[in-house]
Amino acid sequence: MSTTFKKRNIFLWLLALAFITPIITLFFLSFSKNWQFPAILPKQFTLENWRYLFFSGGNIAPSFVISLVIALSVATFSTLFGFIASKYIAYHKFRSKLLMLTYFPFALSPVIFALCLKFFFIKMSLTGNVEGIILAQLIIAFPYSVIFFTGFWSQKIKQYEDLVATLGGTTSYAFRKIVMPIAKSLILVCFFQCFLISWFEFGLTSIIGYGKVETLTIKVYQFITEANIFYAALSCCLLILPPVILLWFNKKFIIQQAK
Amino acid sequence: MFLQVNHIQKKYKDKQVIQDVSFGLEAHQTLSILGKSGCGKSTLLKIIAGIEEQDNGHVLLNGKNIGNIKSNERNIVYLFQEPLLFPNLNVFENIAFGLRIRKLASADIEQKVEEMLDSLELKEHSKKMPHQISGGQKQRVAFGRALIINPPLILLDEPFSSLDVETRATMQQLYKTIAKKFKITALFVTHDLKEALLMGNRISYMDNGLLEIFESKKAFIDADKTGVKSEINFWNNL
Repeated sequence: MSTTFKKRNIFLWLLALAFITPIITLFFLSFSKNWQFPAILPKQFTLENWRYLFFSGGNIAPSFVISLVIALSVATFSTLFGFIASKYIAYHKFRSKLLMLTYFPFALSPVIFALCLKFFFIKMSLTGNVEGIILAQLIIAFPYSVIFFTGFWSQKIKQYEDLVATLGGTTSYAFRKIVMPIAKSLILVCFFQCFLISWFEFGLTSIIGYGKVETLTIKVYQFITEANIFYAALSCCLLILPPVILLWFNKKFIIQQAK
Repeated sequence: MFLQVNHIQKKYKDKQVIQDVSFGLEAHQTLSILGKSGCGKSTLLKIIAGIEEQDNGHVLLNGKNIGNIKSNERNIVYLFQEPLLFPNLNVFENIAFGLRIRKLASADIEQKVEEMLDSLELKEHSKKMPHQISGGQKQRVAFGRALIINPPLILLDEPFSSLDVETRATMQQLYKTIAKKFKITALFVTHDLKEALLMGNRISYMDNGLLEIFESKKAFIDADKTGVKSEINFWNNL
């Protein structure tokens, strides 16, 4: 085994360790109780935290479901509408001006952006409910999706569409049979990214949700401010679960398909 | 005339790409259109195919004005510079594409595609994906995909320009054979002098948005602007 190879292996192991250690620590903390300074290990290892949060008033399960519903809705709508809108923007004569507008939500921090929008959300009775949060998060995720897909609509895709038309196919036929299959991997990646944007969103959700809609991210912050590291660690474990599943799905299906 | 183009004009922003183009073409004939890049030849084909809209003028096919007919209802196939095979479909499905749009029975599709694969010598490649075949084979598949729906008019926009010299010569011969076999009516755009002379029953030259059709090959060779004379001089003085 060459020295370079050994060095590379050590570096990869260190990198993997750097990624995995925090996750192991979180799981370790979620099963712990009574860990007081200067003790090296907690006094107790128990399932009590998990039991409390799921079955005895911790309300983690409903938060998990709410987060899942919000993230799936935001990912679905933003990917779908972003894909369609990006096509019209990409072929529009004012393409660069319209694209510049899509960067606007990212110019401000989400908290300031939410405060700017709050007035309109109150007027439309969209504060403190799931629909309002979905809409607020769409304001961030939709432009992201548009930016993500704009590069896809190249001259070549336009030529494919024109070719289908001269062969007798309608625009929708070209979309279903050629454009969608070509874009399939990109659509899945965008869905995954938008899901993550929504899943970890805190600023917009706390301001528009008024504290009435408790997503998993909001819960984590609550536990942290309560200085309950065990519950916070447990919620974090749940928080990373769906992205890990999506990442696995991404790797298994999209990367394998590309190969 | 089978195809009649009357006073077509097209402007992009400030540039008049097509000034005033009129010509006619009989059925089962191929008209070569020679011209430099940016002279408006591709735009002319796209207008005839219905992909672009003209500012003025008419296109008549078999005496019928097709100006208001959508490109997918014109039954005129446009072949791009690149073969543009659909990357998600194999060779068989690429050729069958137009037939599937027309909702033919599966047995009919299979029979027609098999025949087409046979005449294009592509039978052993039918299950291959586009990235698994060569440039010349891709172009043959593109031809097959266009011919199988039996369009009254085919528009070829420099279809062999991306091929190497040898493959190009083979494809030119193949085109001549299938043009005869399938009685094709076509407009063949090229910037290659030799190709223009080889492919067309009639030859035209496009420059600055204006098209001139020559009476004969001799008239085309004698005209200074086509560059045939200077080409001959070059080889003679070598």
